[in-house]
Amino acid sequence: MNNIPLLKINNLTVTYPLNSEGSDVLKALDNISLNVNSGQIIGIVGESGAGKSTIGKAILGLLDPPAKIVSGEITLTDTAMIGLSESQYESFRGNQIGYIYQNPMTALNPVLKIGEQVIEAILANTAMTGKEAYNYAIQLLERADVSFAKDRLQKYPHQLSGGLCQRIVFAIAIAAKPKLIIADEPTTALDVTVQSSVLQTLIKLSQEEDIAIILITHDIGVVSETCDYVYVLRNGKHIEQGETVQVLEKPTQEYTRSLMASVPLIEKRLHRFALPNEDKMEGMTSHLGYLEEERKENLYLNKTILKVTNISKIFYTSSTLFKRKEAFKAVKNVSFSVNRGETVGIVGESGSGKSTIGRMILGLEDITEGSIIYNGRDLKSITSPEDRLAHCLSIQCIFQDPYSSLNPRMTAGENITYGLKVHKLIDSKNAKSLAQDLMTLVGLQRHDADKLPHAFSGGERQRIGIARALGYRPDFIFCDEPTSALDVSVQANLLNLLKDLQEQFSLTLLFVSHDLAVIRQMCDQVIVMKDGEALENGSNDSIFEHPKHLYTKSLLKAMPKFKGIAKQVGFNDSK
Amino acid sequence: MIDYKKKLATLSIEIKSIFSGHPIAIAGLIGFIVFVLTALLAPWIAPQNPYDLMILDIMDGLLPPLSKLGNGTTSWLGTDALGRDILSAVMYGLRLSLFVAFVAVSIGTTIGVFLGLLAATKGGWVESVIMRAVDLKVSFPGILLALMLLAVFGTGVDKIIYALIIGVWASKARLTRSSALSEMQKEYIDAAKISGIPNWRIMLKFLLPNSIAPVLVMVPMALSGAIGAEATLSFLGVGVPITEPSLGLLIANGNDYLLSGKWWISIFPGVVLVSLVLCINVVADRIREHNNPYLKSMDKQ
Repeated sequence: MNNIPLLKINNLTVTYPLNSEGSDVLKALDNISLNVNSGQIIGIVGESGAGKSTIGKAILGLLDPPAKIVSGEITLTDTAMIGLSESQYESFRGNQIGYIYQNPMTALNPVLKIGEQVIEAILANTAMTGKEAYNYAIQLLERADVSFAKDRLQKYPHQLSGGLCQRIVFAIAIAAKPKLIIADEPTTALDVTVQSSVLQTLIKLSQEEDIAIILITHDIGVVSETCDYVYVLRNGKHIEQGETVQVLEKPTQEYTRSLMASVPLIEKRLHRFALPNEDKMEGMTSHLGYLEEERKENLYLNKTILKVTNISKIFYTSSTLFKRKEAFKAVKNVSFSVNRGETVGIVGESGSGKSTIGRMILGLEDITEGSIIYNGRDLKSITSPEDRLAHCLSIQCIFQDPYSSLNPRMTAGENITYGLKVHKLIDSKNAKSLAQDLMTLVGLQRHDADKLPHAFSGGERQRIGIARALGYRPDFIFCDEPTSALDVSVQANLLNLLKDLQEQFSLTLLFVSHDLAVIRQMCDQVIVMKDGEALENGSNDSIFEHPKHLYTKSLLKAMPKFKGIAKQVGFNDSK
Repeated sequence: MIDYKKKLATLSIEIKSIFSGHPIAIAGLIGFIVFVLTALLAPWIAPQNPYDLMILDIMDGLLPPLSKLGNGTTSWLGTDALGRDILSAVMYGLRLSLFVAFVAVSIGTTIGVFLGLLAATKGGWVESVIMRAVDLKVSFPGILLALMLLAVFGTGVDKIIYALIIGVWASKARLTRSSALSEMQKEYIDAAKISGIPNWRIMLKFLLPNSIAPVLVMVPMALSGAIGAEATLSFLGVGVPITEPSLGLLIANGNDYLLSGKWWISIFPGVVLVSLVLCINVVADRIREHNNPYLKSMDKQ
């Protein structure tokens, strides 16, 4: 490696105007400096709003107006990149700098065959033509670890999996032999088993082709597996930089330390995340009474709260004039049981049927076969409206997407108490104070109850969702990937909150996630699912330490390893 | 409790953000407000009551603009064959046209939105029946359908309102259904369902406020369409009764005299009709553009 950096960014500042006069600005990037040497993989890590993607876009001159570069310089080898005309930028994009997008499915053109898209990139950026370009395309695909490269060229993007599509995006990116590739969250849209092999390809490309890679990601695990050097950003400001091992395991800054402490570990189970400045809950008074009074008397009657026996779910595509309806088996013969006060995790990749099970328990989907017995009663046998309602209210759900799980036209408080008012569980005079109490219970401010959902961040909205579920005094909460849309530090706070609430109100949780580490930290019992089947079922430790099924082993192997900084900050170990 | 003052303030900010920097849209809005005020105040500001046949003097018939009437007053826009002052007739005609259009569009939109929500939430045969009815309605040219209805049921202000309602509801139902269907995919609807909130409440309190925006944007368009349709029907003689002329009927009245040099009878109501529809369309376009950022950026390029 030579001493002159391939890419040099000096004191870069990018601003967004906050009002039409431009007097008030948001600094998306504040005085950022960065060096990339050829063949090096550097990681840019940060939570949402940190300005990670802005760096990538600024390098390529792709900042969307009204964002603009206020000061600083970007130098690629010896060319100053700021202030170039659009056509000058064109000669850099693709040619010298490749770009890899987060979602491969939308980065490829759905109506063109893979071959046409790869060859188009070759024709545009190299002197090759015809047969030569075709052969080069096959070669590129092989270099990006695409098997059966010749056949794949004849396929359309929708016929290939997300991982393969991302490899094809890699192939297109390296077509012109660029010196630098900017990869913006390249594996975020992919399943974990695919993610690790795609990252391997990325590392291989960097080494074999001597390409420098800027890897923009929120995932500490991905960074620890791939990057040589890391920059940590927060709110557009530079926090810390250094060798990956150094930054991840011995961070010097407070923020980096708390970020690393938030990453759920897979190695061992902790009692709770040790967060340096976790907000303490204050002012919880009256709501406790509300939540605890009239607890169902059969609370400790039977140990098993939920028993699922051989359930299956078949979805049918609707029949049309030209096509008979087709059956799709989303869940196949799954059985498990959940004990009171326990947390059971269902882990699986997308399409494994894990959410469908929850939707059947909640009564949102019909059960095709098998039985679900909740609190000693078969769900199918509940017919009278009163029983139905009681059942409804004792099983609640925390949803995946905080941006769509609240009614945007109701205030936070109304969202929480609307159902309670409808069922006359509280009168409307007390509704507001109850909403405020529930909000403090989940760590929000009392006066926030009057705000509309759009005024809250994703993590806060998720807290409102939890408050709404708690309002019904449930025994059982189905958590459908409650933290997958959140930043890692927000996730840690939320998981801690869930653990506390579970303890306080003796809740039973059924926790669905694709993230093994989250499951590891949250659950007592784990069910591993794939393609609708439950492959393995066992206690947390037995699954994670002595996996039996081949698929579980491959899942665990694929997880990015991040050992954490447990020693440095003194975790509370598992009790 | 709802803070009306605050709501009003946000509404005025919203209106400002829609219209500021768009002089043509502002002109359209002002024009529309002037027309509505004229229509509302017509009985007090019109020089004569054109519906009162007792005060009409046949001797004043067919006078050109700015001529003196028998009773000494000036007829600014001339008179028609019966001696009716065109200015007053236009004011009253505007009143009737706007009334018919407002009533028809509000009832038609309400019915359409309700049926659209019903189709989206119920699904199954309810949805099939409603949506096939929409298809059926849309497959006829609107004006032909209205003509057929009026031919069967006879004419009159109420009949023309029914005919216009039938023209309005279908597109609103279709739009509401599609926007409600995409809203129903969201998790807050599931959250409401698992909390045992009854379906009709989910429909009114959750789906309606969140899926109505695109329909409201269409309302001004529907209004100008309804005004045009009413004028067409009245012009064809199947609309409002001849004693209570709307703008369309006034144009039809003057039609016979157009070739004999008595241009003012048709032209003035025509100009008012065209500018009214134009004003509404300009405002409607602006609102639509404001609600669709994609159109906005297309505009800039």
